[in-house]
Amino acid sequence: MMIDLDVTINGVHRHITTDPRLTLLEVLREQVLLTGTKEGCGVGECGTCVVLADGKPVTSCLILAGDADGVTIETVEGLATDGVLTEMQQAFVKTGAFQCGFCTPAMVLTATAIFRENDNPDIEDVKKALGGILCRCGAYPKILEAVIEVKGEGT
Amino acid sequence: MTTYVGARVPRVDSVEKVTGGAVYGVDVAMPGMLHGAVLRSPYPHARIVSIDTSAALAAPGVEIVVTGRDFPLLFGAAIKDQPFLAIDRVRYVGEPVVAVAAASEAQAQEALDLIRVDYEELPAVVDMRSALDPDAPLVHPDLHTYKRGPNDIVPHTNINTLYTYERGDVEAGFAAADVVVEGEYSAHAISHVALEVHAAIAQYDSGSGGYTLWVSTDRPFLLRNELAAGLGVDSSRVRLIVAQVGGSFGAKGVPVAEAIAVALARHSGGRPVKVEFTREEDLVASQLRVPAIMKLKTGVNRNGLMVARSAEVLWDSGAYTAYTVGVAIRGSQTIIGPYRIPDLKILSRQVYTNKSITGSYRGYGTTQVTWACETQMDEIAVELGIDPVEIRLMNGYEEGDAYLNGQIMRSVGLRETIERSAVEIGWGSVEREPAPNLRRGKGIATMIKPTMTPSSSNVVINLEQDGRVTVICAAPEIGSGQDTVLAQIAADAIGVPLSDVSVPATDTLLTPYNGPVASSRTTYHMGNAILDAGGEIREQVLSLAGEVLEVEPETLEMRDGIICDLDGELQITLKDLLAKFYGEYYSITAGARFSSANSPLLKADPGEEWMSSIFWMLCTQAAEIEVDTDTGVIRVLKVAAAADVGKAINPMTVEQQIEGGVVMGLSNGILEGFSYDNGRIENGNLADYKVATIMDIPPIVPIIVESVHDEAPYGAKGVGEPAAAATPPAIANALYDAIGVRIRDLPITPEKILKAMGELEAD
Repeated sequence: MMIDLDVTINGVHRHITTDPRLTLLEVLREQVLLTGTKEGCGVGECGTCVVLADGKPVTSCLILAGDADGVTIETVEGLATDGVLTEMQQAFVKTGAFQCGFCTPAMVLTATAIFRENDNPDIEDVKKALGGILCRCGAYPKILEAVIEVKGEGT
Repeated sequence: MTTYVGARVPRVDSVEKVTGGAVYGVDVAMPGMLHGAVLRSPYPHARIVSIDTSAALAAPGVEIVVTGRDFPLLFGAAIKDQPFLAIDRVRYVGEPVVAVAAASEAQAQEALDLIRVDYEELPAVVDMRSALDPDAPLVHPDLHTYKRGPNDIVPHTNINTLYTYERGDVEAGFAAADVVVEGEYSAHAISHVALEVHAAIAQYDSGSGGYTLWVSTDRPFLLRNELAAGLGVDSSRVRLIVAQVGGSFGAKGVPVAEAIAVALARHSGGRPVKVEFTREEDLVASQLRVPAIMKLKTGVNRNGLMVARSAEVLWDSGAYTAYTVGVAIRGSQTIIGPYRIPDLKILSRQVYTNKSITGSYRGYGTTQVTWACETQMDEIAVELGIDPVEIRLMNGYEEGDAYLNGQIMRSVGLRETIERSAVEIGWGSVEREPAPNLRRGKGIATMIKPTMTPSSSNVVINLEQDGRVTVICAAPEIGSGQDTVLAQIAADAIGVPLSDVSVPATDTLLTPYNGPVASSRTTYHMGNAILDAGGEIREQVLSLAGEVLEVEPETLEMRDGIICDLDGELQITLKDLLAKFYGEYYSITAGARFSSANSPLLKADPGEEWMSSIFWMLCTQAAEIEVDTDTGVIRVLKVAAAADVGKAINPMTVEQQIEGGVVMGLSNGILEGFSYDNGRIENGNLADYKVATIMDIPPIVPIIVESVHDEAPYGAKGVGEPAAAATPPAIANALYDAIGVRIRDLPITPEKILKAMGELEAD
């Protein structure tokens, strides 16, 4: 049995027929071919699969495809417009807030979501929001630098 | 004069990594590909009585089922002891026994349930000490028959590596010393936890008999050779195309998912087969840091000078040796630390156990021995009443000192790393008791590491008609910023804009040989090769410009793609020059090989040259911590980490390595660890195997020390490995400073701290 989904992904409305046993992560990576969203564990423990669902960061490996019906999804591929990086992406580049880059999509998206809610967030709140995403390269200090960079320009 | 070298330029892989465009091993997919899955051993040690795969083969979507008997050859870097899939015997919980490929991943997984394997359990060795017992079960009864390199084994035992070293008379040294300090230290198994799990796609071409793999690896040529050994084909019949690597830290160099993928692809009729591990498989059945138990004894004079040291190190390779033999040899030497000690003796043994395979981990043995060396250094300082900073400065290597084998060491910035990290942490003052249940302390630890020597790097550089430069080399970007650093070196060596330089992905069919992207060796070795080939390109360009401008080439120079005379007057741009020759010169190409083999710097005592290192890495860290005396929980308040890198080609990427190393070291030291039940890992998931998050990280101050190396590209040595090693002992020494509790076995957990505090009260 297949199910039909109406979702908006990175501003594009899509009608997707899929297997209800799949997760949102699998639909994005294998059906929509948006591989920027990464899988690090598949069970909600590492945070690398974060996407924004109706603006909120969620671990897409824990969401069944059917639950994404009617939801507006943003993935890392949707951030830059016509090749122009967002302020947060530029800050990541400038400060070197990534190494292998595998957690970067989740980090950039989550940091972006924080600033949409509050353009001058408390750094401790930022750490809490990013606390569910693992970065084994240990880019954390420079990720915080990137956030502070954006905070500085935003205030 | 350099334009890019030494500059804090953004990484060349920036845009692809912040936009999701970077393609990693797990992202590669091919039309018509099959999906592989693995049935694994539930026992630490058992005989395989029978395997019935008939029901699995008949299951929906299943195309191929292979077992160990389909691939009888063994592979292994130093000892050929490992099959692709277990043959007749399983040696650890999680060992691959049967592999299945099906049209979908779900079908492959479902087919695993239909396979029947009968086992006869055998007595297991699940502890490295008991592996030494004369009557211990043998993990590899045929060890003495395996093909192997020059390393010593002890036949008919579990000892797969035996290494001894002696200099002077250590017993006389101890007898003459004022004080002898002894202790036993242990370092535990750690998973690399690269966020990208092990994955590979393999395809077999029955026409040519060749294999092509799309992989994520830091050692393309070594991995290729291992796969070829297991398949029984010439090494160049296996081609590896390397994707972006989502973290390695030493994990992605031995056949893991790759072995399963080639085994299935061999029988798939040309269809590509993808194998992607689960996180649990990645944690339990890839490879871990080699655990070690280290007995260390040091003789010291009352004035603080070290006079003798003996070390007895026991390493646990797990079920197969992989890259552990080198760890057990090179790592053991490093337990002497960066100190001048006249009388020395080392006994290093490594044993097989019926546990997960271990292997190379960021630092190649250094993280383990640094723990023992630097914890004991602190004990010595306490025993003598000498400041821990002072005793390290007093005994530490200086420029021109001789290493164990008599090699005269150059580019030794140890003293500066110690002094600057101590200053940064505010050594000598601490607010002891910020609250009734909180105590603070400061600790310091240093380390030394050689690099793989000798080793070589080849490069081909191509200057295109449009002025763009391609640096063709097998140096995969594993996250360390390697592509950026190599592009910076190429841009300056040739004299072109950095934005015109690209470093394409590694493909073992197209990119010439390079040693591994390991041992912090790439900047030095590949950088030197690029300097050589880049210089040749530059000469050819200037010679061409001389012809066009009708001047002597020696009167011209090129920088950032602009050719000037020696007064800096513009003569012609590189792009205009090349355009003039369209059709005649299509591209300008130069190749170079750099090897450290014949450097005069390696000169040492006869017969001991192999212990020399072309450069030495030194890193010191000072930590301030706070411990809650009610709970035993440590909070690290600050880490100052100073690394002697020779020269920072890009200060930003050097900082990334230092900071990342500290994060990893902190995580390794106080958060991570496996729990075992009879050799079976019980916490094979990231909820129960704790890795540091952004919440666990204190302010980290990276300090770059530059003791320029004369034979290095612009003076640059390496930085990737050192920073992870000194963090755990720096934290443990700070803990002692805070509450007088000495932890000698890693990890430093609240339970151990509370227990030790109880013992103190009992005293």
